[in-house]
Parts: sequence; structure tokens; C-alpha cells
Amino acid sequence: MAQSNSSFPVKLYIYDLSRGMARQLSPVMLGRQLDGIWHTGVVVHGKEFFFGGAGIDNCPPSGTMLGDPDSVVDLGSTEVNEDLFKVYLDSLAESTYSGDRYNVFEHNCNTFSNDVAQFLTGRKIPSYITDLPSEILSTPFGQALRPLLDSMAINPGGNNITGQR
Amino acid sequence: MAEQGAADPVNNNNNNKPEASEGTIIKVTVKTPKDKEEIAIAEDASVTQFKEEISKRFKAKQDQLVLIFAGKILKDGDSLSQHGIKDGLTVHLVIKTAHKATDGGSTSASSSASTQVGSSSTSSPAANPASTTGPAGSGPAPTQTPNLMSGFGDLANLAGLGMGSANFMELQQQMQRQLMSNPEMLSQIMENPLVQNMMSNPDLMRQMIVANPQMQQLMERNPEISHMLNNPELMRQTMELARNPAMMQEMMRNQDRALSNLESIPGGYNALRRMYTDIQEPMFSAAREQFGNNPFSALGGASDSGVQPSRTENREPLPNPWGPPNSSNPSESGGATTGSTSTSGTTNPSVSNPLGINPGSLGNGMFNSPGMQSLLQQISENPQLMQNMLSAPYMRSMMQSLAQNPELASQVMVNNPLFAGNPQLQEQFRAQLPVFLQQMQNPEALSVMTNPRAMQALMQIQQGLQTLQTEAPGLMPSLMTGGIPGVPTGGAAPAENPASSPSSATTSPAQQQLMQQMLQMFAGGGGGGSGGAGSATTQTPEVRFQTQLEQLSAMGFINREANLQALIATGGDINAAIERLLGSQPS
Repeated sequence: MAQSNSSFPVKLYIYDLSRGMARQLSPVMLGRQLDGIWHTGVVVHGKEFFFGGAGIDNCPPSGTMLGDPDSVVDLGSTEVNEDLFKVYLDSLAESTYSGDRYNVFEHNCNTFSNDVAQFLTGRKIPSYITDLPSEILSTPFGQALRPLLDSMAINPGGNNITGQR
Repeated sequence: MAEQGAADPVNNNNNNKPEASEGTIIKVTVKTPKDKEEIAIAEDASVTQFKEEISKRFKAKQDQLVLIFAGKILKDGDSLSQHGIKDGLTVHLVIKTAHKATDGGSTSASSSASTQVGSSSTSSPAANPASTTGPAGSGPAPTQTPNLMSGFGDLANLAGLGMGSANFMELQQQMQRQLMSNPEMLSQIMENPLVQNMMSNPDLMRQMIVANPQMQQLMERNPEISHMLNNPELMRQTMELARNPAMMQEMMRNQDRALSNLESIPGGYNALRRMYTDIQEPMFSAAREQFGNNPFSALGGASDSGVQPSRTENREPLPNPWGPPNSSNPSESGGATTGSTSTSGTTNPSVSNPLGINPGSLGNGMFNSPGMQSLLQQISENPQLMQNMLSAPYMRSMMQSLAQNPELASQVMVNNPLFAGNPQLQEQFRAQLPVFLQQMQNPEALSVMTNPRAMQALMQIQQGLQTLQTEAPGLMPSLMTGGIPGVPTGGAAPAENPASSPSSATTSPAQQQLMQQMLQMFAGGGGGGSGGAGSATTQTPEVRFQTQLEQLSAMGFINREANLQALIATGGDINAAIERLLGSQPS
């Protein structure tokens, strides 16, 4: 078995897509305070992995156009080595995380990060991130904007799409 | 420990058999990327046994199975309890195919073959699925470098609509465009009680507006805007009006009634209407452009854009359609119409109407109308427009008829919804009507209005007055009696009075007084404006005493210079001036 006992640190990079505007405007526009519109990526094995409109993607850490993350959460470490992770990601890309499965509310980058984090470390990502879509949708404003938002796909762009044939 | 479990496999082979054996059966969820299964296994089973179960269920070979729990890879020699695997927990499974391709026991061959594409050259036959992975087991592969570069430089994925942009403002613009292109959506949003709630909260609106960098620019150029924004009462009223489509409909209905009154006046009111359409058009387009510039006006002003022209229409019945525009202060915008921008019609409307909201409901609504402000801007920007308006023959005839028929004019005014709530204002206006009309006949006044510089000067005066009012509200009454410099824009002061005194729903006595002064000033300022246009903040005595001068000349004192001297000497007291004149002149 080519499994090593080495331990790889796993981190979660959190980005605020709104660049602070959500924190300012959300009480006004939505009626509740949202501190940000979160996008996340999981950093392991020296790469940042995230799910976007194009599918599972990876890039060097902080290598997307979003630049440096607004915050970093340490998820612990994993024994899953890179190979195994690739196998895992590939099968994900074929199934639940192919590009066309992207939905900005239900099945987005944070959903992916959550799953991957659990796979790698057994831990989930902070709930304020995964709760975001439901928070937005629970406001009338969010509901009103839903058709507009549904058509959007967040794609910070790493151009290393997993599973691309 | 691994041996202990050997006795249990027999039991474990039966799922859903909660037999209490040496170890209790626990149900563990095994999750693959594609699949999820619940497996019952003894609590103290070994990993090997677990894998046996799994291989049966997932139809894969045991040595293809890689189990991960809490970040750890479960080795065959371990036991489940060693890793803390308990009932109800989830263990992750990755099934390695011989080619290290996908799991799931299906299509492994095909996928493995195809994953060779794009991957860096690997020594091992294992086809790494991702295009960037290196050879198996060699850690981060150097072959990733070329992909690294493309990853850095690749911005093509900005294609993600809006969200792909790192700039929320861009997203905002896009949303705005969407809103603009879909009026229903906008009206839905406006009707949204949440939006209305938001808009009824002046603090929040203010924050929103201030946060807009465009607004910040405007505010830098026009401090009056920040004054206005800082006035909670003003904001509140503004929001109310914007929020309340019923109120606006009411106003429009009133306006329609007033217009129908107008039609009965001889002298081509239909022509007047046509002419006003010409004015309305640019205003509409200005308002539209305004939406493009000012996102918040889109939020708050869309419903109001319909009102703006209606407000302008309201100006029609007034005997002096340009008087009020002159006097109508760019209230909240605080003289934003002045010198700020005379060229770009786009920013002007937004400047004069930062909220895009009709503040007409304010105490002295008439002059606060953004419609008037826009009109004013239009006028100042387009002297030709004014010329056309004023020189139109029917215009003159209308003026004539209005002058001759003050009753009609006052009646029209009464119907004006802006005045409806202000009987005092109506009175004042009625009183001043004759003067107004006279002024309108005065070619000098007309020339002032056609002179964009003069107009701007007038606006500056008004602006100064507003500033003065906000800075020293207590000073105003004394100033008023002393003859306030430069108040051709009569509405400015009254409008600002509401601004400075929070309880401004009704005209305060000071306000009325000020209003009268305004009207007088304008009456005097219209004629003397051309002479006094040069002074931005003060009016020449000639302007100030215009009314008195008129009266004196009507009485027969034709020596204007002497009249003026006398008036100056007596501080505007006509009787005293007459005394002086009689004393100094033989006639």
C-alpha cells in the first residue's frame, strides 16, 4: 500500500466577494447583517482547490483573481496524500461536482469546500459560510433577486480544471 | 486486537442484525464521491473486516479501498474504535482502480484511459486525473509549473457573470442595468416592503448613499448635499414620498386637474403644453441617465421619475413658470445646479437630486421639486431653451392674461397640490402674484432668465443663502428683515428652513416671512438681476429695492436714480423715501 503516514496541513481560504460591501449594505438591503459574500477554497498539498462554474479547479494558493484570502481557517491535517486526493477529486468531478452542477445557492464553492474538508480532515467548514445561501434566501430581497443570481456562476479562475477531458 | 474481531465476521455478514455479540453493531456511513452506503459493523471490528464489508457492498476489491476518517487513512491493522469510529459517523472511501482512476466500480477503464490527456509525463502508468498532477507518490510534481503560469495569467474565467468581477461596484452596475431593462423588476423591488422599510430609515439610506463613490464625489462638489443628507427629517420625508406611490399618484392627479384649469385660459395653453413637452423630454432623458449614474437614485427615484415631469407640469399653471424655477431651489442638492456642472446634464440631475427622490412633500414642496431643479439646470445649460420659451408669442400672451387675471392665477395655484397643504404659502404667493407677473413682463427679468450666467449667479445666491440658513438659522430672521441678499430663488430659503428646523411640515412664521422676502427679492431681483448678476452673494440696492422703485415710478417719481438714493437712505421704506424725494425734488 502506497500510503504514507505523513501529514499534510489543510487550510481553508475564505474570500469576501463583495469586498466589504456586503457588510455595509446588507442590513439595508437584506434586513440582516451579512459580513460578506463568502467564497472558499481548500488549500492542501500546496494548491488551492475550489469549485466554480467551470468545475473543480485548482491553482496556487491565493492564485485566483481574488488575490489573498480575507481569512484563513486551519482545518487540521490529513493523511491523504496527493495522489489519493486526486483520485478523489476526479471522481467528484465526474459526479457531484462537475461544472454543470454548479448552483450559486445550493451547490457552490462552499459546498465543495465543505465536502472536501470533511473528506480530508473530518471537519466541516465554519457554518457561517455554508449558511450564507439560506440566509440570503430567507430575506425577501434575496428571493426577489434569486432568478438573477441563479444565472450567475462564481468563477475566480484557476484554469486547472479537474476531470477535464 | 485485530484477531478478536475474527469471531465476529459471521455476525457482521448479516446487515441489520443487531445481535449483541462481543461488540455492538454500529452503523457507519461510508461515503464515496459518488455514493453513500450505510454499513453495519461491529464496534470493535478491524479495518480489514470493515473493508471486507465494503468490498462486498461496493463491489470493489479490498486492496482498492482507501478509507479516510478524520483526516487519517485507515490501515488494515487498525481497528475502528482506534480511530474513534462510532455509530452514525461517516467514513470516506476512495476506490482506487488499477489505473488510479475513478472509483465507483464503473467506467474505471475508460476514465483511466482518458485521464492521460494533459497530464504531465509520468513514469508510472497511473493516469493522473488532473492535468496538473505529477507522477504518483512523488509529491508535488515539478511538471505543474507550466500550469502554474497559466493559472496566474488566466483572467478569461471572468466570464462568470458579474460575480466573476472582483469589484462589487461592477456587479452593482450590472444589476442596475438589469433593473433598468426590466421595469417590472424595478417596480417589484420598489413595492417590496423590505425596500420600503429600508427607505423609511433615513440613516440607512444616508449610509447607502454616502457609500456610493459617485455620491461622494458629488458631495465634495456640493456640500449642500451632505447638509441635506444629514438632515434626518428631510430624508424621512423624502423617503416617504418615494415609498408611497399612492401619494405620488395623488399629486399627479392634482396636477392633471390644474392643467385642465389652465386649458381654459385664453392664449394658447395647448401651445404651452407642447412647449413643456419639449422641456419634459430632456428632463426625462436626464432622469434616465441619472439612473445610469446613480444607483441609489435607481432605487429610490425610479418611481419618482414619473413625478418629476409632473412636477414640472405643475409649474405651468403658475404665472411665472420660470420664476419658481429660478426661485425653486435646488434645495437638497443645495444649489448643485449652480456652477457645479453646466455641461453634463447627466450628473446634474443626480446632483440636484441625489436621491432621485422628490422631496416635494417637504414643507415648502413647491420649490423643492427636483423637477424644477432639473428644469432649472436645463434652463441654465441651455439659454436657447429659455429664449425660445420666453420669446414664444403665446408665452407672452399667457403672461399677459395671467397678469390681468390674478384670480385665475391664484385659482390655478390653489389647485397646485404643492400649495394645497400650505394655505399660508398660497396667501403669500397670491399677494406676490401681481409683482411676479409684472416682473415677468419686465423684459429685463426675461433677459436675466435667458442669461445662463445670470441664472447661475442667482443659483449661487440661493446656494449661499441655504448655507447661511443651515449654518445660522437664527440669523435668518434678522437677515430677512434686513433685506436678505440674493434671494431670487425664493423657494430656497423656505426649503432650507425645513432643512434646518426639523418640524417643518408646515410653514413657520419665519418661513413665511422669508418666503415673502424671497418673492420680493425675486420680484426685485428679476429686474435688477441683470445688473446684480455680477454679485454672487449680495444684491445691489437697486435689486433690493426693485419693488419700491417700481412703486415710486408708478407714483410718478420718474427719476430712478433719485428714487434709488432715497430708498437706500431710508432702507427701503417707501414712505420715507417719498418724503425725501418730495423734499429734494420740486416735483
